[in-house]
Amino acid sequence: MSVLAVNNLYKRYEKFELDNVSFSLEQGTITGFIGRNGAGKTTTLKSLLNFVHPDSGEILFFGKGFNENEFEIKSKIGFVAGGINYYSKKKIKTITATTRRFYANWDEQANQHYMERFALDENKTPDQLSEGMKVKYALVLALSHHAELLIMDEPTSGLDPISRDDLLDVFLGLTKEGITILFSTHITSDLDKCADNIIYIQHGKVRADSDIESFLAQYKVLEFSDEQVNDDLRSKLIGSKQTKHGYSALIKSTDANNSGAKVTDADLESIMIHLEKE
Amino acid sequence: MDNLLYKEFKLAMHPTSLIFLSLSAMMLIPNYPYYVTFFYTSLGIFFMCLSGRENNDIFYTMMLPVRKKDIVKSRFLFVVVIQLAQVLTAIPFAYIRSLYDLPGNQVGIDANTAFFGLSFLMMGLFNLVFFTKYYKNTDKVGIAFGWGSLVMTVFMIIAEASVHIVPFMKNYLDTKDPNFIEYKLMVLVVGILVYSVLTLVAYKNSVRSFEALDF
Repeated sequence: MSVLAVNNLYKRYEKFELDNVSFSLEQGTITGFIGRNGAGKTTTLKSLLNFVHPDSGEILFFGKGFNENEFEIKSKIGFVAGGINYYSKKKIKTITATTRRFYANWDEQANQHYMERFALDENKTPDQLSEGMKVKYALVLALSHHAELLIMDEPTSGLDPISRDDLLDVFLGLTKEGITILFSTHITSDLDKCADNIIYIQHGKVRADSDIESFLAQYKVLEFSDEQVNDDLRSKLIGSKQTKHGYSALIKSTDANNSGAKVTDADLESIMIHLEKE
Repeated sequence: MDNLLYKEFKLAMHPTSLIFLSLSAMMLIPNYPYYVTFFYTSLGIFFMCLSGRENNDIFYTMMLPVRKKDIVKSRFLFVVVIQLAQVLTAIPFAYIRSLYDLPGNQVGIDANTAFFGLSFLMMGLFNLVFFTKYYKNTDKVGIAFGWGSLVMTVFMIIAEASVHIVPFMKNYLDTKDPNFIEYKLMVLVVGILVYSVLTLVAYKNSVRSFEALDF
């Protein structure tokens, strides 16, 4: 059974539509949800929890429909939108004291444990925390009610490289405890470090949904100058763009042989940049 | 619901909601449009919704295991509690005013039983207009309060003018208690009933609009 299964999620706006988004998450995995700004990442994540009402589609958490099992599902998941962007002038202990009342399975020991582990001071307000610490506090709230699935919207944006790395280590540790993580990001190097799977969304459509290795293996990056490209090769190039010393483009791995140009392995960033150029 | 109400008081409430309760003492002013006291109650509710917007209150609450309908319900419960508290704290001050060796209120209606009935009516109108508008778009708190205060202002003008113009209001309702108490009690009962109905309608409208809102 999937921890989360999304089937044909559809939502139409005046100038944008989420077009039959489908994916599923398996327990204990980290899935990166990538796409450029405005691709539909946040809308998708908000639709999962009914913050946004989808026009159609099916969303199953732990095999159960959200609307019929809202209490149970919300008790078992943690939704982290960026860091803590609510009640930023209230003390953390006040926010915790209020939040804990809503969860029957709230674990005070776990709360203490994670507060200490992340070196959070309960007498501070979210405003007094760095961006990284805000995300960690949001995680503490989710982990204190033993969330089995963490859904995070750009938790690493705005964090310095060391804080980001630190947070990714935390994510990796959590998956070992069986927690499933779905997080959106446009910082693709985060995913190179820790993700098992990626879901790539472009203009509201899922462009790729696979494990990260096979996604990366599909493409190579070609660096070339004008003279090196014949018409045959040109038709195979994906998202050509100018670089300092000529051009670069993506090419299907199967087409990459004998091109004569410099071929390198693709990373997520180069794949995204070139696919978005199309 | 207890937890949500706890959240309303602990996190969402703006301190002015409590501070404005002390304005019930305005009943001691010898001559004053006493309805203004309940205007302040509404102002406190407006500040709460405004600070809720700045603090992402709805976003926070929606992440918790609660129904959307109950988010609206807890806000209404809070509002009813605050409005009743304002009435209850005003009653002793109104009684003290009635003991003054002075004529009744020269500006508008005396702070008597009928006045409280009419105040309930005014708060019910505010709840209906403000919340029906607010829950259609929780970001536009100012517009909702603009309409809410307009309705209260018009009500106050009509109510205060009529105790000078309309003979029944002037001769029966704008008198010291317990004169004509049977008429005044009737106004009080009708006021409470209308307040209850208007607030209930406001709640139903709000739930419907809020369910449909995307965040």
